[in-house]
Amino acid sequence: MLRYPGLVMTAAGLLAASLAHANQNQLDLQQNPDFWATQLGNYQGNRFSQLDQINRDNVQDLRAQWQFSTGVLRGHEGGPLYVGDGRLYIHTPFPNKVFALDLEDEGRIVWSYEPDQDSRVIPVYCCDTVNRGLAYADGRLFLNQGDNTVIALDAESGELLWEAENGDHTQGETMTMSPLVVHDKVIVGNSGGEFGVRGHLTAYNVETGEMEWRGYSNGPDDEVLLDPETTTMLGEPVGEADLGVSTWPEGEWERGGGAPWGWVTYDPELDLIYYGTGNPGTWNPEQRTVDGEPADNKWAITIFARDPNTGEAKWVYQKVPFDEWDYDGVNENQLIDVEFEGEQRKGLAVIDRTGFGFLMDRESGELLVAEKFAPETNWADSYDLETGRPNVNEEYSTFRQGVDVNTTDICPTAMGAKNMQPSAYSPETGLLYAGINRICMNYEPFETEYVAGQPYVGATLTMMPAPTQEGDMEGRMGSFIAWDPVAGETVWEIDERFAVWSGALATAGDLAFYGTLEGYVKAVDIETGEELWRFKTPSGIIGNVNTFQHEGKQYIGVLSGVGGWAGIGLAAGLEDPEEGLGAVSAFSALKDYTELGGILTVFALPDA
Amino acid sequence: MILIRTPRQFGVEALGTLGIMLLAAGGLSAHAAGNGEETASAKPEAGPGNYTVIDGKVDQGTYDGYIAYTRSCMACHGPDGLGSSFAPSLIQAAERRNFGEFSNTIVSGLELQPGRVMPSFADDEYVLSNIENIYSYMKARGAGDLDRGRPRVIEEEADEEEQDEEEQDEEETQTSNEEQD
Repeated sequence: MLRYPGLVMTAAGLLAASLAHANQNQLDLQQNPDFWATQLGNYQGNRFSQLDQINRDNVQDLRAQWQFSTGVLRGHEGGPLYVGDGRLYIHTPFPNKVFALDLEDEGRIVWSYEPDQDSRVIPVYCCDTVNRGLAYADGRLFLNQGDNTVIALDAESGELLWEAENGDHTQGETMTMSPLVVHDKVIVGNSGGEFGVRGHLTAYNVETGEMEWRGYSNGPDDEVLLDPETTTMLGEPVGEADLGVSTWPEGEWERGGGAPWGWVTYDPELDLIYYGTGNPGTWNPEQRTVDGEPADNKWAITIFARDPNTGEAKWVYQKVPFDEWDYDGVNENQLIDVEFEGEQRKGLAVIDRTGFGFLMDRESGELLVAEKFAPETNWADSYDLETGRPNVNEEYSTFRQGVDVNTTDICPTAMGAKNMQPSAYSPETGLLYAGINRICMNYEPFETEYVAGQPYVGATLTMMPAPTQEGDMEGRMGSFIAWDPVAGETVWEIDERFAVWSGALATAGDLAFYGTLEGYVKAVDIETGEELWRFKTPSGIIGNVNTFQHEGKQYIGVLSGVGGWAGIGLAAGLEDPEEGLGAVSAFSALKDYTELGGILTVFALPDA
Repeated sequence: MILIRTPRQFGVEALGTLGIMLLAAGGLSAHAAGNGEETASAKPEAGPGNYTVIDGKVDQGTYDGYIAYTRSCMACHGPDGLGSSFAPSLIQAAERRNFGEFSNTIVSGLELQPGRVMPSFADDEYVLSNIENIYSYMKARGAGDLDRGRPRVIEEEADEEEQDEEEQDEEETQTSNEEQD
């Protein structure tokens, strides 16, 4: 049996072809339904597989084939990559180990790599030492280390090819996001929105690791890579220069956050990348006002469409000007083609942290739909589609309520109605599938001082389950939903005891998959949401369910290992017996179901 | 309520001048202890682990301990010292270890097992200058004298006295309003 034909051909092709075609390699891999070559399944971020060997009729026979312990505790986000060479490539949270596992030998370790990192990076992560996974192209694996080192490894041998320094953890910067390879560039973003960092997205050359461009999330236009004459906002030129400076109090943009720590997607036809930026600087909105009045704090919580060759911003849309709730705008922008009001549109759909589901035109940047997918959402009543601004509800405005005032019962929580857990999209149903959070909060801003390398938060929070309506599971803190991005409606919904912090998968086998914080992997009927299969992994799942086919056999692979913000918030902070709220017993109950520990579980049908 | 605690000492009920003043102003009771002396000042005696709690408010050092903890320790040790899946409760650590052991761990770090590390804060000036405050905050939490969340600071500076009185007046007014309700 020829074990690595794909790799041999790729390696040969690499020698002959220009490296400018790294994009082509990744695109070719994505278009082969057998492979899972990028964390979101394809450039469009759809997390959809054409494979249907495992389907609605036989999924009840799905069995765990083997499991692999990563030897690392703490939260395991992301998932395994399969590029046709008979191996799975997986990663871990800090210390960011990388493993090549032999799929034909029940996960035997072909090679492993462990970077040498300063442990002082650990307390600089805001929300656990997570990492959202590897990227691959042309025989190279790319990893963002927690200490801001971007590395390229030879996928065949695990040998280090190059490393690049993307930031400084002593200044509060870390890296947790998964890189994306476009053309001959690997595109990465920093984390550290809770440490007053200045967010940036950076492209490195895949071959040499040299920096090619960097676009900041705030500051002067020439550093944001924005031209007010040509960059548009809702279809019109931005107009005014240096809004990334003028919409902040003096100098505050320099610690203005906007870290792009989430997912990057790409449209090969338009040749544009899409990503969102995080919260603006301190969580105390009063410290981000100009002359005592709310200021937009651009370009935090903004969707950027950029040219991947130069980094230049084609259009921008700020989802939350003057954030008062920590509603980072980093969730994945799903690139989907839709029919909207009788017209075919190149759409961009995002199930956002704010509790709203947006649909935009990804070519023009127009806002088409903004509707609540989490009905408890109360910080804003609606969005004005003309101005793109939310109609903020004063009762839940932490700025209007004031510093040192506890604004209560705001929905959703700072964790968002949906966090980084990536959604899936089925072109067959036209629906998005996503794990969401049903949690609300009390939020009290306070004056805080910036100290380099220390958290720059300035708010205290408590959280509680969102109110329920008739028919909902009492005290539930999560759901898995099917969302119609054009109608702006939830089609079906499954309530879960805890926040659903795992990435979804949709398949041509009429199935949707997701994981739960107790550790279940579940398969549901993609049309009805009816549960068809479940398996309890050893730890809670905050990773993504991926699928791939090798030698004619379809596999499902998922990392479990509870943690992330969900792990901190649910497993620890909210179990204080002094708190007499119903929330406490529900949150602390997570400890009754699961403990830490990274495990990869690989499933298949026994007779396949 | 006034609580002043030093390590290995439990409070005895006593009324100090401040307590009497507060009683007059806001109808508060007072508890104080400090090396056997009946004192009640918002400033605890200097020393790691000492703290003052008056009606849920704390001395500046203990407050700074809360802020420093929240900034530098919470990511692993959980909110309000409760511990998390990743690292143990520091409330318990402060109860089980004396100040020397407590501060030594912060300065030197710990490697429990490969990949499970308490980092050293030896070159973090901000943390180093707040170790005593963090210890005091943890002691206050451990004794049950301080609830979860961000405490308020006792205002006792001379130039703030006027404001303090105003606040107490407000408090009194609020109290009487509540009574009317």
